Amino acid sequence: MRFWLIIGFLLTATRAFADVSVVASVDRTRIGFGESVTLTVAVQGAHTGDPSVPKVDGLTFSGPSTSTSFSFVNGQTSQSISYTYQVTPGRTGEFTIPAIGVDVGGKTYSTVPIKLVVEKGAAQGEIGQALFGRVSLPSQEVYIGQTVPLDVFILWRADFLLRGLNGFTYDAEGLGCKFSPDLKLLDNQVINGESFNVRMIQGAISPTTTGTLSFGPCTLKAQQAVPNRGGNSLFDDMFGRTQVREVPITIDAVPITVLPLPEEGRPADFSGAVGQWNLEVTAKPTEVAVGDPITFTIKVSGSGNIDTVPTPKFAGLDEFKTYEPTTKTTKDELNTTGERVIQQVLIARSPEVKQLPEVRLVYFDPVAKAYKTADQAPMKLVVKAGTAGQSTIVSGGNRLRPEEKLGQDIVYLKGDLGPVTSTTPFCATPTFWTLNTMPVLALLGGIGWKKRTDKLRGDIAYARRVRAARDVRKLLATATNYDETQRALQNYLGDRLNIPAAGITASIVEEQLLPRGLNNELAADLKAYFETCDTARFAGGSAGTTPTATREKVERLIDELEKIHL
Amino acid sequence: MNLRRYIYNGIVLAWLLGSSMAVAVPADDFKAANQLYDAGKFTEAAAAYEKIEPKTAHVYYNLGNAWFRQNNLGLAVLNYARARQLAPRDPDILANLKFAQQRLGVEGINTPPRAIQRVLRSVIDGCTASEWSAGEVAGLWLLALAIGARFYFPKMRRGFLVIAVTSFVGFGFSTFALSYQVVNNHMAPQAIVVSGETEARFAPVPDSTVHFRLAEGTQVAIREDRGQWLFVERADGQQGWVKSEALGQITNF
Repeated sequence: MRFWLIIGFLLTATRAFADVSVVASVDRTRIGFGESVTLTVAVQGAHTGDPSVPKVDGLTFSGPSTSTSFSFVNGQTSQSISYTYQVTPGRTGEFTIPAIGVDVGGKTYSTVPIKLVVEKGAAQGEIGQALFGRVSLPSQEVYIGQTVPLDVFILWRADFLLRGLNGFTYDAEGLGCKFSPDLKLLDNQVINGESFNVRMIQGAISPTTTGTLSFGPCTLKAQQAVPNRGGNSLFDDMFGRTQVREVPITIDAVPITVLPLPEEGRPADFSGAVGQWNLEVTAKPTEVAVGDPITFTIKVSGSGNIDTVPTPKFAGLDEFKTYEPTTKTTKDELNTTGERVIQQVLIARSPEVKQLPEVRLVYFDPVAKAYKTADQAPMKLVVKAGTAGQSTIVSGGNRLRPEEKLGQDIVYLKGDLGPVTSTTPFCATPTFWTLNTMPVLALLGGIGWKKRTDKLRGDIAYARRVRAARDVRKLLATATNYDETQRALQNYLGDRLNIPAAGITASIVEEQLLPRGLNNELAADLKAYFETCDTARFAGGSAGTTPTATREKVERLIDELEKIHL
Repeated sequence: MNLRRYIYNGIVLAWLLGSSMAVAVPADDFKAANQLYDAGKFTEAAAAYEKIEPKTAHVYYNLGNAWFRQNNLGLAVLNYARARQLAPRDPDILANLKFAQQRLGVEGINTPPRAIQRVLRSVIDGCTASEWSAGEVAGLWLLALAIGARFYFPKMRRGFLVIAVTSFVGFGFSTFALSYQVVNNHMAPQAIVVSGETEARFAPVPDSTVHFRLAEGTQVAIREDRGQWLFVERADGQQGWVKSEALGQITNF
């Protein structure tokens, strides 16, 4: 049942605002840590701006939500505005919500301070039943270096509207904790007849120091959806009419006793491996010639912290030439299981070698609480003589080189610099693009030329037309009289019009040239020239000398005719 | 000027352009670095090879050997891969690159998963970009000459058609290979993981979730560069964000 404690009172009553009152109230003055209180600032009789809520160390104010009401009493209306805040404490202790100022008509009204007590246990039970956390550990007694799963469970009741979980922090010095970043959603659990949702943070510890250590306390922040005041939780949640508040979850520390590895029964060659490990050894090939490499592979796999597992000991390596081993380690996210593969290249020194080295791994099994040995009996090896000392050196030169073998070692250095190539590839140079353009242009040109020569061969009219100007200029250059000059002009016109040259007279101007678009001025000149030639021929004979001016006139006529498409 | 003179001048011009790309390299520095290597001073030898400019395939190769001897196999693989890019058919470079990758156990992951991709990659990577460029030019010239000759020598049309088709195929594949190399080097430069096992994350943020791990010597294609973080793709298609200092870029143009 909710109760209201009114602790505000009227501060000021002036003539102008005699009916204005500002009151601050909280729904509870004593709460448990993890709960929040509702602070209401009610302003009676005036319209105002938002109250100025001061900052308080340890308290978070969220809101406000506003509600307005009007009343009509004895013919007079009055207005009341309520500002509601959710106040969430961040720690336990005693707090004071100071006076809150409200500006009304240029005058500031203040509420009286409110005391709030936040207790650790008082309300913890109530919220604890709705939302709580617990730590799960298979055993609170572990050995140093042992990997043990440690899971953190968060449980919340079905009516608790959990919107999110974050801010997981914990104190676990010396425990070597690792947690998965993902929260796993598990099946619901029923506790005391009530159903709880469960989420798990999966983790593991691998202690690095001995003694009594503790995991925790650890904390999380839960985001809870809270229905608005007076609303229906179901519909408020459905339509988003809720506020989200942050609820801290604190899980008490769990003591863990970390034991040292027992001295009793500890083998001399124990190197710190803790867990349950299997050893698998393979070798390829097992029939070789002296000098041939053997790939010796040792695989250690099992549960535990693989980082504690050293390279297993070999016995009888003196009979082999060895190279630096390569190691590949894989492990799960929490380092609870892992695998380490060590590859060692061995070369038998002589045909007397009959077996591969013995491999031995001593580890402490925390479940059996005893030291155990995983070993592999020596594998049989057949070594033949014959290729001992053979070395293969690929790169040339006469320089003295150390012994290197192809396939077993890298090939030796290059003795010369080799060809110097530009950092700019050929395709990025102008030469490349020029060489790309040239064949295309040459091909197009060649095809065009071929088509033209074919046309000159097959199309007589075209051939005569193309050659007309060139031929007439040759004839004119050697013409010495009117007869030769006139013949040259006749040949030209015959070629241009593709008609026999012999029959061309002055009449061609009207019959052929004018209909084809020859202008009148040029036609008159041409006609005049034919008449001049005729006159000169009949008057002065065919041997009469052609005046230079007349020849130049013919050349001009031809130039003009060249410009016309006949 | 007759045709013969034009051809002669063209050859001289091409030679001058080609030779202008060659640069002098300090051979003495190279010999001095080799002597340091022979004396077992691999760190000093690597530093000496690093200083030689411009680097030839042999400089990268010897530098790879110097890193290998220091047991820095990631940097060895990187320099062998750089050497292979300049001299893709050199047997020594190929042998050492393969050996270093085998030692790191990354030979398989650096190979494309599909057979067709493997074949195409091996053919395309078998020549440098300049060699493919020369092949493209030769194919184009042969194609143009064969088409032109078909017009001038109609009786030999069939023979020239065969030459034209063959040269067209050669020209087409050279163009494809050249484009692949240039576009690939430009759009997705190849790089090698040089700093031990590296985590590829879902986002370019230090505490983002690890997607997968890249072993030292793994070859990746850089799809996006954001300064300190690179978005990379492994040969099997896995993609993730990796810190840029973990990678060494192979591509040098």
